[in-house]
Amino acid sequence: MQAGPLDRAAARLRAPSGGVLLMLAVGWAFAVVQAPEDSVQGVIQKILYVHPACAFAAYLGFGITALAGALYLWRGDEQYDRLGVSAAEVGVVFCTLALLTGPIWARGTWGRWWSWDPRLTVTLLLWFIYLAYLLLRGFTEGSARGARFAAIYGIAGIFAIPLNYFAIDLFGGRAIHPENLSRGSLGTGMGWPFALGVITALVAFAHLVFRRLEVEWLRARELRSEAGAPGSAAAERPWGT
Amino acid sequence: MNDAAIAARGLEKRFGPVHALRGIDLEVPAGSTLAVLGPNGAGKSTLLRLLAGLARPTAGTLRVGPIGEDRRRTRGRVGYLAHATFLYPALTARENLIFAARLYGVANPARRADELLAAQDLTSVADRPAGGFSRGMAQRLAIARGLVHDPAILLLDEPYTGLDRSAAAALTLRLAALRAGGRTLVLVTHELPRACELADRAIVLADGRVVHQAVGADLALAALERSYLASVGAAA
Amino acid sequence: MNVLLAVLWKDLISEWRTRDRIVSMLLFSVLVVVVFHFALPADASRLLQTGAAGLLWVAYVFASILGLNRAFALELENEALSGLALAPADRGFVFLGKAASNTLLLWIVQGLTAFAFALAFDVAFLPVALPLAGVLLLGALGLSSMGTLFAALAVRTRYREVMLPLLLLPMLVPVLLGAVQACTGLLETGGVPLPALRLLLVTDAVFLIVSFVLFEFVLDE
Repeated sequence: MQAGPLDRAAARLRAPSGGVLLMLAVGWAFAVVQAPEDSVQGVIQKILYVHPACAFAAYLGFGITALAGALYLWRGDEQYDRLGVSAAEVGVVFCTLALLTGPIWARGTWGRWWSWDPRLTVTLLLWFIYLAYLLLRGFTEGSARGARFAAIYGIAGIFAIPLNYFAIDLFGGRAIHPENLSRGSLGTGMGWPFALGVITALVAFAHLVFRRLEVEWLRARELRSEAGAPGSAAAERPWGT
Repeated sequence: MNDAAIAARGLEKRFGPVHALRGIDLEVPAGSTLAVLGPNGAGKSTLLRLLAGLARPTAGTLRVGPIGEDRRRTRGRVGYLAHATFLYPALTARENLIFAARLYGVANPARRADELLAAQDLTSVADRPAGGFSRGMAQRLAIARGLVHDPAILLLDEPYTGLDRSAAAALTLRLAALRAGGRTLVLVTHELPRACELADRAIVLADGRVVHQAVGADLALAALERSYLASVGAAA
Repeated sequence: MNVLLAVLWKDLISEWRTRDRIVSMLLFSVLVVVVFHFALPADASRLLQTGAAGLLWVAYVFASILGLNRAFALELENEALSGLALAPADRGFVFLGKAASNTLLLWIVQGLTAFAFALAFDVAFLPVALPLAGVLLLGALGLSSMGTLFAALAVRTRYREVMLPLLLLPMLVPVLLGAVQACTGLLETGGVPLPALRLLLVTDAVFLIVSFVLFEFVLDE
């Protein structure tokens, strides 16, 4: 079974991205510790170096999942499906992290774990959509059909998420999210750790996706050689009901 | 090649890890009847589904009908009869046929439905919900449904399954009549005698590949049996 | 276009014969209304006046999921779905036909449930009946469009009935918010708040277009 360009790239980039990640992570941890404490919020403010970064990765992850799905539907090449599932599995992890760090910050600053803040609520919905995507893949009989269904759902999701945001922004939730972090409401000495955090998260995301892609490719190759046996059960009605 | 009703080259179909068809080359001249034989899991039904337009090939080329037509149009030329009947139990026989006619864009659906009911000897039960039909009646209605758009190419997936003697004989007559009318038939069957009866060419599939082809005289039952066992036995 | 009408006709006739979906959807949503009576505190009249729209839409969402599951379960008998896939029709129009029948049935159930709700809790829907019907229809369209697309997927997975709400609910928030805000505004002021209406219209349009395009791939193999 041929490895597609994506699979080959993943194999090649795994080690280098791991190395870069290590360096970034160390540098970032150092920067976070070094960064000045916020006078109002105290040390809990340092979560801001983690939370938005995870959220970016989570949303980016879904974007990649949806794009991979679209490419899979268009071209039928399985490597796109492998990218989709890898991005989704890594993305849901970052989404979970974002959903954990957000309330921790909220509790530390506002005294409440959850208050239906619009951005956090949309991220919660994203989390449910991620899970639904993964469940759909898992519970569909036949991997080709599962891939197709998941691709369809991913594309639908990428349209629904902005709508979710507009809707909730208009009507639901009370905003406690600090607005416009990049416009200088970050104090001096906080810009660097923040940027570094985002970059580290993105590199971590990429590295994990590369690893997951490799695993997925190996698994697909394994399944293919098993299923190829003549008279195997999978050969009967392979398209499902 | 160009006037063949169906032409395939290097046709492959994968369902995830399952490699159902591994490179099929096929040519079916217009008006001929092809029998597709082979053991279970050989890919016969998959091949038919590709021909019907229900699935897209993973690799290779496939042409069903005139050159350069898009898949959607092609589906309008093909009639497909499978194990499932595609009937709605809550609808009457006539309503099922009218619906099918409208799906295929047939002019005057009601009249066409009545024609088909008469041809399949179902006029007496035209207003009964299809859910209450016996297997034989449902089969006849399914055949009527498959012919609603007067397709030039007919694909049949083991149509004799579950039919008693008289129903099977009636079906053979029907298929012979359709064949005489110039249609191209592709018949998947387990039963070699049927293939010999109706077809003028045959292919044997095993493990997703064509392992034997027979035309004309090779279709005498004894000869076909021998070559079938030889080719399938070799592949197993 | 003919295909759309044919599918719609087929669904409605089928439903008329069996009255399967509409009865179960209606019973279910009225039951939910009854449950509200027991679940809410005795002195809930204020809550009911302001929250009527929200409560109703909760009932509607769950009733629609019931109906959608049923709609495609019917298509699986005798592999009728493959029969639809075989037709030389643009599959987007098959989708529209099914979405239309789902919307229509839901709309009827919505109206009857609102009636029951008004009786049970003494809420005045009548003065705004006409615009309310319009908002209900827009909401039903939003629910049924994505709902039809996802039901076609969910019904062919291993946990059919459970799968659909998991797929659908996270995406329904714009419809829900828009419809509830619109209904609440209608009940309070007699006029539909424009932002809510705009949200509903935009959401419906996006959902319809996306589902129309994606349905092509639902029936493919």
